[in-house]
Amino acid sequence: MFTLLNLITMLVVGAMILGFIAGSSMFLIWGERKVSARIQSRLGPMRVGWQGLLQSVADAIKLLLKEDIMPTGVDKWVWQLAPFFAAVPSVMAFVVIPFGKNLIVKDLNVGILYITSITSICVLGIFMAGWSSNNKYSLLGGIRSAAQIISYEVPLILSIITVVMFTGSLSMQKIVEEQSKYWFILRPNLAVAFLIYMISALAEVNRTPFDIPEAESELVAGYHTEYSGIRFAMFFVAEYTNLFIISAVAATLFLGGWQGPVLPPVLWFLLKTYGIVFILMWVRWSFPRVRVDQLMSFTWKVLTPIAFLNLIISGWILVR
Amino acid sequence: MKKYTNNLAAGIISLLKGMGVTLKNFFSPATTFQYPTQKLPMSPRFRGLVDLDPQKCVICYQCVKICPTGCLSIKHKELAEGKKALEVFKYKMEFCCFCGFCEQICPKGAIYMNKIYEVATYDHEQLYINLLNPKKYDEWANPTVK
Repeated sequence: MFTLLNLITMLVVGAMILGFIAGSSMFLIWGERKVSARIQSRLGPMRVGWQGLLQSVADAIKLLLKEDIMPTGVDKWVWQLAPFFAAVPSVMAFVVIPFGKNLIVKDLNVGILYITSITSICVLGIFMAGWSSNNKYSLLGGIRSAAQIISYEVPLILSIITVVMFTGSLSMQKIVEEQSKYWFILRPNLAVAFLIYMISALAEVNRTPFDIPEAESELVAGYHTEYSGIRFAMFFVAEYTNLFIISAVAATLFLGGWQGPVLPPVLWFLLKTYGIVFILMWVRWSFPRVRVDQLMSFTWKVLTPIAFLNLIISGWILVR
Repeated sequence: MKKYTNNLAAGIISLLKGMGVTLKNFFSPATTFQYPTQKLPMSPRFRGLVDLDPQKCVICYQCVKICPTGCLSIKHKELAEGKKALEVFKYKMEFCCFCGFCEQICPKGAIYMNKIYEVATYDHEQLYINLLNPKKYDEWANPTVK
């Protein structure tokens, strides 16, 4: 029943999630800059706040205050809507992420299906941005992104299905509770699924070594070449929120979610998630970008067959 | 098939090796430093601004003669018993090419090049330096943004 109390609860929860997203993505942007700097034997941001911790805040203020420039010749409506299509789905995915035993907005019984379907909408925002910018680099970036995300969705979902087969439920909390005895990553076939999930998720969020949609050396900045100010900031926040989401889902599906001894559940969850984020950053600053044809042949000729094989073996183990 | 699996194994090992290299870098100290707040000492052979120790100067005019850009100028007065005293020793930093000839030619080591390297200024007059003034480089050594 819809009451005033319901409305207030909804608003408060929404504000909390938006606050967490803003804080988390700013922290992740700072972390990315620091990790990349340390890997390249540099210091990274050092001036604003302790160890440059407030650098992202300064950048956010700068981006918010910038003039909103729309280039001539863009498809006005599509161009203006694109950042929202990129950012809003990543916020919506937070509904089913279990931060703790009772710390979840809504434990949907189709939780993991909801996340995979909602995060797939992000590609629409990227493609809209590329299409409407009236710029060949943006268009190429958008098309590449669409092709890449659709291709990598297949092994991603196949690896998630492997986990769902073991739990028998799509609910995120059920999946976490199933791992009270041992983490799923300790089972060999689920460890393979974890690897497949991580590789496909990296491609899903367009990060190096799969960052061909925004390959600087080929496409300037890809789909967000023509964006600046707050609209660019929305793409940026969406990118880092997606990074958090894929890590949170990996922690939930394979690393036991919020479960762990001594420390409070929320801390365990954040520790696991940011640990995976660190690994993704480490991978990003270690490897060069793969070519478009290598990317496509890798997913269709290697990753998808392995994921199918893994699925069949898991099924055989379950019915044995 | 054997070649394929060998290639695959070699690929995975090289990926892990690459990640090992970056992880080692991650924990190694940074090679860069925080320039305006943290200043490195200059090398012993660095040629900064021309400096003078007036006590050692014998007023031989060698430095003025050797200077390719003519940025040094001296005036002296004759004292009793054939002795000389410096009246003016000017250095037009604007023209200086920092070649170090004056330092090399000086028989007494009176003229030398110091280690000051932040030589930008907001005032043109500051480029005409009176080398006889003992406090001439105080502002250069500790620059403040105006």
